[in-house]
Amino acid sequence: MDTTRRGFLGAIGQVTIGAAASVAGAGQSASAEGTNVPHWGMVVDLRKCIGCQACTVACIMENAVPEDAFRTHVSVYELVKDGQDPAMVMLPRLCNHCDDPPCLPVCPVEATFKAENGEVLVDASKCVGCAYCVQACPYDARFINHETQVADKCTFCFHRTQAGLLPACVETCVGGARNFGDLNDPESEVSKMLRHNEVSVLRPEMHTNPNVYYIGLDDVLDGRVAGEAAYHPEMAASVQHHGEGL
Amino acid sequence: METQVHELVGAVHDAAWQPWAVQYFFLIAMSVTALLMALPAFVFGKSTDLRAARLALMVAVTTGITAPIALLADLHQPFRFWEFFVYTHKSSWMAWGAWIVPSYVALMLLFAWAIHRPEFHRMGQDEWRFAWLFRLFSLGGAANGFARPLGVLAGIAALGILVYTGSEVMVVRARPLWNTPFLPLQFAATGVVGALGVMLILERMLCRDGALEATLNRRLALALALVATLGGTWFAVAISGLSPVHTEALASVAGFPVWQQIALWGAASVAIPFVLALTLPRNTGVLTGLIAIHAAWMFRWTVFMGGQAVPKVGSGLYDALMPTGLAGLMGVIGTFGLWVFLMIVYTTFVPWTDATPPAHTSDQAPRKSASPQEI
Ligand code: SF4
Ligand code: SF4
Repeated sequence: MDTTRRGFLGAIGQVTIGAAASVAGAGQSASAEGTNVPHWGMVVDLRKCIGCQACTVACIMENAVPEDAFRTHVSVYELVKDGQDPAMVMLPRLCNHCDDPPCLPVCPVEATFKAENGEVLVDASKCVGCAYCVQACPYDARFINHETQVADKCTFCFHRTQAGLLPACVETCVGGARNFGDLNDPESEVSKMLRHNEVSVLRPEMHTNPNVYYIGLDDVLDGRVAGEAAYHPEMAASVQHHGEGL
Repeated sequence: METQVHELVGAVHDAAWQPWAVQYFFLIAMSVTALLMALPAFVFGKSTDLRAARLALMVAVTTGITAPIALLADLHQPFRFWEFFVYTHKSSWMAWGAWIVPSYVALMLLFAWAIHRPEFHRMGQDEWRFAWLFRLFSLGGAANGFARPLGVLAGIAALGILVYTGSEVMVVRARPLWNTPFLPLQFAATGVVGALGVMLILERMLCRDGALEATLNRRLALALALVATLGGTWFAVAISGLSPVHTEALASVAGFPVWQQIALWGAASVAIPFVLALTLPRNTGVLTGLIAIHAAWMFRWTVFMGGQAVPKVGSGLYDALMPTGLAGLMGVIGTFGLWVFLMIVYTTFVPWTDATPPAHTSDQAPRKSASPQEI
């Protein structure tokens, strides 16, 4: 089974593996040429996402995300267009590591900052837990971690990329939908994907300049999704399960 | 092309700003507006307004002490509050607020102390059990000519509070309901309504002077008219499309029946006390006062908890609008409890009925206490 899965990844997941090479390679070439530091970005190919939530689980395990929150998850929608057959549409969501992040200027104590490679990070030792950034993020990508009592969010797995590894969600992505790499390197897989595909970002009207791009994103899903909400189980103070309408 | 969307899997985001935040914005708005209402009599010598000003100062002091405690409680790391002063991030309104709030509270308390200093001094001279305490309070003197500049400075800090609290919420583009230029004005106007509501209740409990009740009721009617005008204009610019941010704010909630009920409830809580205060300014103070306090509080609850119930990317509404769990309610009950306690302490220990404008520098001898008619 394992072998089959690897074979499957090898056959159709070259982008993912290519991105892994670009993570390690970019760092080297940057330091070798001394010209360009990597600028991490993600390209999510929605045509390949099967909504398995492997990324959601991998992120939780990798980053010890508490039970009532997510750093990333996959929203699933049913779209019915003009009375045609319903279609299931997946939308992996995570922090966009915006280049103009509204979460950053509001932080009263400069705990939120933009790292050298473009990641938007929180200095947990400095954060006062005021949640102003949680309010300011237009993507609901932040939350207050009730175990650490500070702001929490996706870090593009900073600890892993520093070690030349891919973010856990990308590493785990079964369908090869999540692709990660250096947007400054024109030869990286993600740069090529951006060149060769029509891509969009979430909530472009917010002018946040996201670094997470989507291939095949339906217009009706790029903002606040009007429509019927999923059943939301009660988010009790003592959370037993994830508040996900699975 | 008609597209129907059903969310099958979506994350829920609970409110990051808890009911403590509602309490803070409610109390601080009442404190600063009450202080501004106390200044004409105490700083600018408008003696006809003295009795109302005494009540206003009582509201300013008691809510002004309670508010920052509620604010601190809303921080998830309250013991790191010192970082606000070490790492001030100039682009953040909250960072500015961290400097403005303590300045306001300190100046307001100093001003209130200065206004009462001659009486503290006098009570320290009498032969009674707590005389020593009042000698301490008065710092051994009765002079209070400096109360006027202190009042002016406290007034400036109060305006600073109105600007920062309004702007802090208004700049959040991610929440359409907050991101409207009307919001700071609405916070200020409903703050006046809340402060007058409390003053009316206090008047009924402590003074029972029909003329003062009528005066306060007339002022309340004026403030409610302002709130209604702001609300009506908000709605008009939103529905006409004149202001896209207001249109978006309205659109973010308009389709939900619960919001239609809130709008009706809000309109009733402005209209009912307005009509009562205008037509029956005497003997309705308790009712108009209570409804006014409710209106000011509910406006903030709706803006903060209701605003956080609107998903930024998901569908439907989250549950934040209704108070869930004991923890949230404890915030509300706890702050109200502290406020009532401070009110009791104030009316017991502060000679508030004798508060008068400061003497001019040439006339700083301790004054005799006011006659009962003046109270
Ligand atoms: S997605 Fe939200 S949290 Fe992430 S950088 Fe952008 S504004 Fe900040
Ligand atoms: S919660 Fe932390 S990171 Fe967010 S604005 Fe407040 S101090 Fe900054």
